[in-house]
Amino acid sequence: MKENKMLRIFRVFLIAVICFMCLIPFYVLLVLSLNAPSRVFYEGNIFVPTFTWSNYRDAWVKSRVGQAMINSAIITFGTLSLTIILGGMAGYAIARRNTAYNKFVFSLLIGCMMIPGIIITVPLYTLMRKIGAVNTLWGMILLCSALAMPSAVFIFTTFVRALPVEMDEAAEMDGCTGFDTFWKIIFPILKPATASFVILNGFGVWNNYAQAAFFLQSRDKQNVPQAMSVFFQQFGGAKWHLMAATAVIAIVPVIIIFLIFQRQFIEGLTEGAVKG
Amino acid sequence: MKQKRKDLTQWMSLPALILYGVFFVYPLIKGVGMSLTDWDGMGKANFVGFTNFARFFQDARAMGDIRTTLIFAAGSALLLNLVGLGYAFLMEKPFPGRGLARVIVYLPAIISPLIMGYIWYFLLQPGRGFLYHAARQLGLEFFLGNWMSSYPTTMAVLILVNVWQYAGMTMIIYLAGLKSISSDIREAALMDGANGWQRFTLVTLPLLMPSIRINVVTNIIGSLSVFDIIMALTEGGPGYSTESLSIYIMRMCYGSRTGYSTAVAMILFLIILIPVLISLRLTRGKEQPL
Repeated sequence: MKENKMLRIFRVFLIAVICFMCLIPFYVLLVLSLNAPSRVFYEGNIFVPTFTWSNYRDAWVKSRVGQAMINSAIITFGTLSLTIILGGMAGYAIARRNTAYNKFVFSLLIGCMMIPGIIITVPLYTLMRKIGAVNTLWGMILLCSALAMPSAVFIFTTFVRALPVEMDEAAEMDGCTGFDTFWKIIFPILKPATASFVILNGFGVWNNYAQAAFFLQSRDKQNVPQAMSVFFQQFGGAKWHLMAATAVIAIVPVIIIFLIFQRQFIEGLTEGAVKG
Repeated sequence: MKQKRKDLTQWMSLPALILYGVFFVYPLIKGVGMSLTDWDGMGKANFVGFTNFARFFQDARAMGDIRTTLIFAAGSALLLNLVGLGYAFLMEKPFPGRGLARVIVYLPAIISPLIMGYIWYFLLQPGRGFLYHAARQLGLEFFLGNWMSSYPTTMAVLILVNVWQYAGMTMIIYLAGLKSISSDIREAALMDGANGWQRFTLVTLPLLMPSIRINVVTNIIGSLSVFDIIMALTEGGPGYSTESLSIYIMRMCYGSRTGYSTAVAMILFLIILIPVLISLRLTRGKEQPL
């Protein structure tokens, strides 16, 4: 199918406009973060900042975004590890032992998969308070793991089902238990499943705000969005240069990770969508 | 011996079930009970039947929140799919820099919607925002008024920011769907003399139905529980006009109306159940909806 040349030029032009629209807020954020505090009323050309690099140092100190990033990293790493370990084992059991019990587990998880976390937050709060999990990173990890569990079990079950049963049967002949078979033989070849789970859920856990707003209130336990929200409310729109610098500090690592893995990322998403 | 081992293997799903049961299913069931009480989060809870639900439907603020939530979800789902589908068609065929363009369009979706909301808040601030000053420098002042002062324009801003952020995600799923339609079918339609519009409505669109369904359902469910974007852009204001049900639940919970806030959560749950059940019905017989 040959495309009309004019049409092709128009199409590429349109795409350029779309990309520009997607990038402009990031550009503005950058300009803002490099503006001198005195420059709130934009004298001169607003598209060029005054390159006040000290904003970043001030933002880093005042917002304590560094601690928030460490907390977010711990929560994200803990959640992903726990869901991969438990969800992987569950996916294997469900795919290979299709008993009434496992059918029930699978239906329960998939049935609740689309219920957003906000629905259960209030009763969960009383539970978390009872077990002393409010304002703790481990509490947040357990909670985020539960929210991500259906997605993990779904992905791992789908992938294990696609593997030939002969592999595990051979291992079991050799005297391996189901547990050993999974960890020694099956889990290592499930890397694509693990990758697509991490891709689909990693950023969501890092960016979690709906749960963090309830469960991570104490200052030294806040994750990135919660810290940003407290910081922003505190300055109430007055110190945009500091807010912008904090936002840049918070999103740069996310963008770097995305750019490094963007190929796997887009492929993983595509695969997940087709499988679904 | 073999039988015994089999049984142990089947229980490998137990730890996941316990974690999920304690931190999701138990609170969900507990919430049903709590929604029927007047509990304030501290003292004794008294059974009050459906009083909380009745109170919800008599509360003007809550009714406004339902309206805001539904408008936001319907507007977001419609626009996200139109824009995402448009992007997918634009970016389907190869052109120089296609990979880069896809990454750029997807980029906003990985950033926290809260932070993105603050950035847009700054861009759109009346009088002081960046867009206002940019428009003035470019001589386009007439274009910008106070967007965040009236309900319809504020809702439009909220929906557009949401669409701006997640159009790339919708696009990726449509691109995957388009890729799975073999080009043979589309070319055969071309041979048969179908024009562009006919090829689109009679061939591409029906074959794209699975992707459309995934996108529409996930977009509706996601935007029915909207929280971050509204908190960052309006905090539910002006007044309580753009407050969503999720924000209302949080505020009622902080306001020591614990029983009432769980009742609102149950109502939100029932609202979300409608698109979930429709999607389950539509995918009946297939493996599972995403």
